[in-house]
Amino acid sequence: MAAWVKGGAADIGAAVEAAADLLAASRVPVLAGLSAEVSALRAAYRLAETLGASLDPVSGPSVYAELGALSAGGAMSTTRAETIGRADVVLIVGNRPWDGELIAEIAAAAPSRGRAAGSERALLSLGGPQNGAIRHVAYAAESGGLAISLGHLRAFAKGHLAGEAAFADLAKRLFAAQYGVIIYDPEEVGELGAEMLQGLIRDLNESTRFFALTLADPFQGRAAVQLSAWTTGQAPRVGFGRHQPEHDSWRFDSARQIAAGEADAALWLASLPAPRPAWLGSLPTIAIVGEGSQEAAGETAEVVITVGVPGQSVGGALWNDRRGVIAYAEASDPSKTQAETETAAGVLTRIRDRLIEKGVSC
Amino acid sequence: MLTRIHGGRVVDPTAGRDAIGDVWIEDGRVVAPSERAPDQTIDATGCVVMAGGVEVHSHIAGGNVVMSRLLLPDLYVSESAPNGHPFAHAGGSGSWIGANYARMGYTTAVEPALPPSNALATHLELADIPLLDRGGLAVLGNDDHLLQLLRDGEGKQAVRDLVQQTLAHSRGLGVKCINAGGASAFKDGVLKLSLDDEIPCYGLSTRKIMSALLDAVEEIGVPHPLHVHCNNLGLPGADDSLVATLEAAEGRRIHFAHAQFYAYGVVDPENPMTGGFRSAAERINAAMEEHPNATYDVGQVVFGQTVTISLDILRQFGGRKGAKPKKWVISAGDAEGGGVVPFLYRPRGPVSSLQWAIGLELMLLSSNPERTILTTDHPNGGVFTEYPRIIHLLMDAEERAKEIATLPAIVGERSGLPKIEREYSFSEIAQLTRSGPAKLLGLTDRGHLREGAKADVAIYRDDKDRTAMFSRAKLVLKDGQPIVEDGEVVAWFSGKTLSLDVEADAGMEKRAESYLQDRFGAGLDTFAVPDAAFPENTGTFEDVACRA
Repeated sequence: MAAWVKGGAADIGAAVEAAADLLAASRVPVLAGLSAEVSALRAAYRLAETLGASLDPVSGPSVYAELGALSAGGAMSTTRAETIGRADVVLIVGNRPWDGELIAEIAAAAPSRGRAAGSERALLSLGGPQNGAIRHVAYAAESGGLAISLGHLRAFAKGHLAGEAAFADLAKRLFAAQYGVIIYDPEEVGELGAEMLQGLIRDLNESTRFFALTLADPFQGRAAVQLSAWTTGQAPRVGFGRHQPEHDSWRFDSARQIAAGEADAALWLASLPAPRPAWLGSLPTIAIVGEGSQEAAGETAEVVITVGVPGQSVGGALWNDRRGVIAYAEASDPSKTQAETETAAGVLTRIRDRLIEKGVSC
Repeated sequence: MLTRIHGGRVVDPTAGRDAIGDVWIEDGRVVAPSERAPDQTIDATGCVVMAGGVEVHSHIAGGNVVMSRLLLPDLYVSESAPNGHPFAHAGGSGSWIGANYARMGYTTAVEPALPPSNALATHLELADIPLLDRGGLAVLGNDDHLLQLLRDGEGKQAVRDLVQQTLAHSRGLGVKCINAGGASAFKDGVLKLSLDDEIPCYGLSTRKIMSALLDAVEEIGVPHPLHVHCNNLGLPGADDSLVATLEAAEGRRIHFAHAQFYAYGVVDPENPMTGGFRSAAERINAAMEEHPNATYDVGQVVFGQTVTISLDILRQFGGRKGAKPKKWVISAGDAEGGGVVPFLYRPRGPVSSLQWAIGLELMLLSSNPERTILTTDHPNGGVFTEYPRIIHLLMDAEERAKEIATLPAIVGERSGLPKIEREYSFSEIAQLTRSGPAKLLGLTDRGHLREGAKADVAIYRDDKDRTAMFSRAKLVLKDGQPIVEDGEVVAWFSGKTLSLDVEADAGMEKRAESYLQDRFGAGLDTFAVPDAAFPENTGTFEDVACRA
């Protein structure tokens, strides 16, 4: 464990004390980042409730594109394993799904379960990179972008547009599926695109089975959404400034709050890697960051405390992208776990305890 | 510390008690009356003293409960919580659930749908429900691994080992099957399924799957019988499904979830799906009389907005067009997945009024309330905080008549409720909400006030307004400690998650690992619920022994 207070090395007790002092002196604190294991997220929510702070995960753009469409119209979804096991038609929308191994894994296998078992799997793409590395039928996006293209595709599927257009052909292929899946990144297609895709999926389900497989953000956003929902009844972003949880994606956007001068202190939580926020250094900040990360340095913030990295030097419940659930990750290299390694949850709880001792309450 | 609860009307039907008397507790347990002077005396004069309430079927945690909050975030109202009770008034949150059950005098609650594929998140959420002991029922009946074993005729031992391995890894308290085979069939295009219909690709039926699970539960010695959600929930003629399922159990112990949603007899046999339904409460109760191996919980409907949550994705998909507001979620998961469909039980609407009447009729016709558990299938029939009002209606025929008078005539035309004069006694309420559910779950240490019981005690001011009486307990003790006083939470701590004390068979564990690696590219470790995942709740789990 290493810690710094105003650039100077400090022990954990002094760093916790400095962090508690900094937060106790603030009027509108924000807790941002939240790229961390579930126990740390849980501790962060409890700290925010005590402080009257707001919480804003770095995964916000991805989370909001999905949640916006969800709360407006609902969703039909499936899992990675069901896609690989059952899908005979897979439509890949945009570029992001082609990053990583997902599409190659899907392309490498044929449906093995359900009524499509044994059939050939049709891979289709819309607005993808068209690099030819994986055999598939590619449809180009229209000049208006993905969301417009998806609107036109749905119009052809519904019969509101007709003709020999490529999207008419694509719509026919979709309706021919026995178990179809559309893969997309909510952040890439945007809220309107996601809503249109879910509408298309609902239409397809009038005659066959079709579902979405959406890509998760890489910053534990889906774990944060679950924890937030069972803790507050609401998705993030959430604020406690008025003594009760309030969900508001605009008000509690930490970057906006800081740029507008509303927030006067911040706590950046990233026991797992996360993009460094541009506002770091612009207001009094505590950084709780993974040991060995680039941010694990005295100049990162007024108070910096390094903590164990879940899944590496400490165990932790994390979003498991392959399984699409929260799963426990043991420390992969326990030899790196030092006796004095702190967990993020432990540090946050100590800060909260000190605040309570100081009589701070929202 | 020796405590004497003095002068209250002690109601414990398991001991034949319904009279003014004392209850003695020490070290978190009920003890025999003592010669020693008590360290503390609680004056219960004018009060009714019961064991803490036990909930057997309430959707209080899990991915679908989370999804319902995201889909309908404004269903509940949030308020400021008292210091030291974090999130207690955050509407719909785990803390809110714990606090509201406790205020009504409940001290144990079970989530009936613990998906083994998502067990850790469900348990993390359960662990964040304060003040109560809680547990979850592992859901089986649609997973490919089980269906493969059955299709391949591997025999009872293999099925038993897989069920036991699943229980051990998911840390379930019991086993539930939800429209067995229905989710799998739905993924293969089926939209209606009955007991003997073929599940595509497996050559199985609901009957075969359920029968195998009934056997496995008995052989493992799970205290709670197989918890069954039948086919065709909510459809006219669903009473046929329940009765057929009851007979298919062939004398084996079986519990039926939310029977009200199956007590719908067809009005017009020529047009079963369009002619509407009438109460089948008499038929269901007559069938239960003939089958002492069976129990049910009610799934009482209450009027107003709610959101339905079920792993029965076939049925939820079928009901999607009745969503109000018009949005819904269907997740085709690794086994069942889930369906979340908002629904409005229209106040004084003819259909919802009939549903409301049927639930009450079921309870009022029951010859044994211990086999007729009070639930609303929260939140499917309505929110659990309506229990006090339901108890009021059961205990007070005049109050019931007043409410019936506000409802459409169909209540009298298609149910027998208006003609029922019965009023539940306190003992019967205790059977319905305490001793019955505790016995059903096999939790011998609660649901009663006999010597050795956990000192989970609810004390209510006797008030003819039973809604007020049961909404805000005068005092609630959990493990002997006061958690509620005058209807308000006064302490804040975590109870235990009850899980069955079973170990996975080594051979089946190895086999499951191989299966999972092949299917998911990930093994059993990603399904596990290790103690280490609960760093702030050391001692989260409490073992419950299997039946001898």
